[in-house]
Amino acid sequence: MDMLFRNFRYFIKEGFSNLARNRLMTVASVTSVMAALVILGMFLLIILNVNHMAYQVESQLELKAFLKDDLSGEQIQRIGEEIKGIDGVSSVVFESKEQALEKFKKQLGEKSYLLEGLEKDNPLPQSYIVKVKDANLIKDIADEIKGINGVDKVSYGQDVVEKLLGIIRIIRIVGLAIISILFVISIVIISNTIKLGVFARRREINIMKYIGATDWFIRWPFLIEGIVLGLLGALLSVGVLALMYGYTLDYVNSRLIVFNLLPLSDVIKDMALYFALLGSLIGAIGSGLSIKRFLNV
Amino acid sequence: MIKFINVSKKYDKGIIALSNINFEIESGEFVFIVGPSGAGKSTLIKLLLKEEEPTSGTIIVNKKDITKMKRKEIPYLRRSMGVVFQDFRLLPNKTVFENVAFAMEVVGAHPKEIRRKVPMVLSLVGLSDKADQYPQQLSGGEQQRVALARAIVNEPSILIADEPTGNLDPDTSWEIVKLMAEINKRGTTVVMATHAKDIVDAMKKRVIALEKGNIVRDEARGVYGYAL
Ligand SMILES: Nc1ncnc2c1ncn2[C@@H]1O[C@H](COP(=O)(O)OP(=O)(O)O)[C@@H](O)[C@H]1O
Ligand SMILES: [Mg+2]
Repeated sequence: MDMLFRNFRYFIKEGFSNLARNRLMTVASVTSVMAALVILGMFLLIILNVNHMAYQVESQLELKAFLKDDLSGEQIQRIGEEIKGIDGVSSVVFESKEQALEKFKKQLGEKSYLLEGLEKDNPLPQSYIVKVKDANLIKDIADEIKGINGVDKVSYGQDVVEKLLGIIRIIRIVGLAIISILFVISIVIISNTIKLGVFARRREINIMKYIGATDWFIRWPFLIEGIVLGLLGALLSVGVLALMYGYTLDYVNSRLIVFNLLPLSDVIKDMALYFALLGSLIGAIGSGLSIKRFLNV
Repeated sequence: MIKFINVSKKYDKGIIALSNINFEIESGEFVFIVGPSGAGKSTLIKLLLKEEEPTSGTIIVNKKDITKMKRKEIPYLRRSMGVVFQDFRLLPNKTVFENVAFAMEVVGAHPKEIRRKVPMVLSLVGLSDKADQYPQQLSGGEQQRVALARAIVNEPSILIADEPTGNLDPDTSWEIVKLMAEINKRGTTVVMATHAKDIVDAMKKRVIALEKGNIVRDEARGVYGYAL
């Protein structure tokens, strides 16, 4: 334990002295990693918000099953039971012809006089309002309900929902692809920086091998160097992203009404934590890769 | 202590550096490996240090078959051997003291132990007054003495030297070899590859002579036996 602690002091001292020795490279690679992570973070924020939007869309999603007029109360009840029995349905609420008219009136507001006199011969159909658990299931569920005896029509704004879900899916895939690419780019940036340090010290590494240093003893200072680079780049990028996201929120929330973006405070705490981990991981992988070749003596 | 059994080493392009080598070195011996340039001396030492793998055969060091050794165990094998090279291989940005101390740091020695031990070996090699100097401020002979101090500070059972006097003038070479003999007298087995004829002839130690990868002679109190 004592020895481990002693070694660790050596590793940290050596790691930081590498950084100080190549000051220009340190600044250059921290900046590059920061830039890469800012872009990565932008896509991450987009994905998070798209997920948030998808959740909002999904929770607002409902379909309406319009019933034929000439049904008995018993038949209506049976249809309700049947819909409830379908997989993926979360709730079923009956809306009578009268309720439908009331709702319509409310929607029209001051123009509701247009509907006056309709009470006696109400043209609006009775319906079941069905909520689903997963937006992706909505089409199948609609088809199934359509097949039930006594159901006249089913509507759920097919076009809009399907397009929206399609767009969300594409944004997720593209976003993840770009994030992966930037992840690799960041690793390469750090790996190249560490490689310079390793190369400059290859004689020293060689000597250490002859003295009987273990691979880990040689590796640790470079790992620490890489982790510090990754961590610095990550934390700086979180700062930049927080500023950028703050401005975006001000801009978007004053214009967009249908959806609201995730608030800054929700996003940034998680982001700082994940980026710290991500930065360390990038640094560790980057330096691990660059020292491997030099250990084979 | 050290045993080569039917050891051969073939490099790429079919170069045979060692072919079917057999010898045994007992604990406490002082052995010269001699032979012209390209005879295979350095290859033999690289095999001992496990810097190269033999193409065939078995190498035993301290009762262990090092050809079957895992990569993880190599550092511990090397800790049982101190090494000295022709080009000294000191760290230029560390002082004499720090260079020697470094060998102890690498194996995780306690700082107290380092402060006690380093001055001892520096005095053994006669460099007590140069402890705070940097390698480039020293002569070649002095640098090689630092390398010797570093090689023995962890008290290895074997001291290995590949042409340790190759870069030194005759007088300085003698000082180094005398030091190695002194270290040998204290119980360390010494294996030294060289083509310094005068030294080998005068020391009257065991000589293993290599030629084109073969042992052509193995004599207990030998001489170099070649006209350089
Ligand atoms: N890494 C290598 N790759 C290919 N050939 C090598 C390598 N190292 C040494 N050799 C060859 O092996 C032979 C023995 O070399 P070496 O062991 O260095 O001899 P010595 O130390 O006695 O001068 C020489 O022919 C040399 O060219
Ligand atoms: Mg040689």
